[in-house]
Amino acid sequence: MNQIVIDVLIVAGSVLLAASVIIALYRIVRGPSILDRMIGTDVVLASIMCGLGGYMALSDRTDLLPVLIVLAMLGFVGSVSVSRYVSKSDSMTPGAEAGALSDFSNSDWHMPRDGQGKATAEAASGSPAYSEVDEVTEIEDPTFDPHADAEGEGLGTGPDPGPDDAEDQGSGTSAKRGESNGP
Amino acid sequence: MVLDIISAVLIFLGALLSLAAAVGLVRFGDLLSRMHASAKPQVLGLILVAVAIAIQFPTWATVSTLAIIISFQLVTIPVATHMVGRAGYRTKHLRRSMLYRDELAEAVDRAEARELAWERQRGIGTDHHDG
Repeated sequence: MNQIVIDVLIVAGSVLLAASVIIALYRIVRGPSILDRMIGTDVVLASIMCGLGGYMALSDRTDLLPVLIVLAMLGFVGSVSVSRYVSKSDSMTPGAEAGALSDFSNSDWHMPRDGQGKATAEAASGSPAYSEVDEVTEIEDPTFDPHADAEGEGLGTGPDPGPDDAEDQGSGTSAKRGESNGP
Repeated sequence: MVLDIISAVLIFLGALLSLAAAVGLVRFGDLLSRMHASAKPQVLGLILVAVAIAIQFPTWATVSTLAIIISFQLVTIPVATHMVGRAGYRTKHLRRSMLYRDELAEAVDRAEARELAWERQRGIGTDHHDG
């Protein structure tokens, strides 16, 4: 009798885990942005960890505990790295979520304007504006920090490589163009 | 045998939390709501499964490793969720009509005002670029 109860619970739990993985895969396929896909991947990873833990508990496999640690670290590193490099040009899949995200208006948002210093430098050197910079960086002006407090604390989450890289690229190409134009 | 049943029940509850997170992932219409749903099996489901493992193998090596895993999850999941939410706020992946209160907007306003003041102090006009 007890064995029957345990078997029923295990089978039901396995079915629930499989269903949750399938539903999360639906969100990964359908998700309008890469962040939704990342959350779906986290749920898949959590389901895998729960299933692995259940397998360890019920089949005497305590040697799989380091695998659980590695999976936990993998989820953390994946989430942080993906969300760190999500850019402003991350376009959502149009129509994937009907009526949900269409009522945005730009006036609701406080997005930074284009970097004036870089624009004047480009205008002075005569080079065309770099449109691909907007796809890489999420904030054009490196001094702008929308998450800063009033006390002047800057980015609290480490270096922001996007604007620096973009600026380096821009200055490098303009310098090369100046050298070629010189002689 | 009773411990086996308790362990199986805990594993079943962990699977149920995982399914709840997946259903919330599909049913909720916002990135922040989905984040709210998806953090449940990552912490509580894993704690339930770890308790099931600890019931089955009550040795110091297993329990200490499980404690390491759980503490690692408890530390890292809020950080990862915070990073995802921050990126979502920056890239406008949230519905403002679903928010009761947006405390970050005030900070954004202050930062924008500070940037304007800095530009005015630096003496670079903004008209030729904005217009």
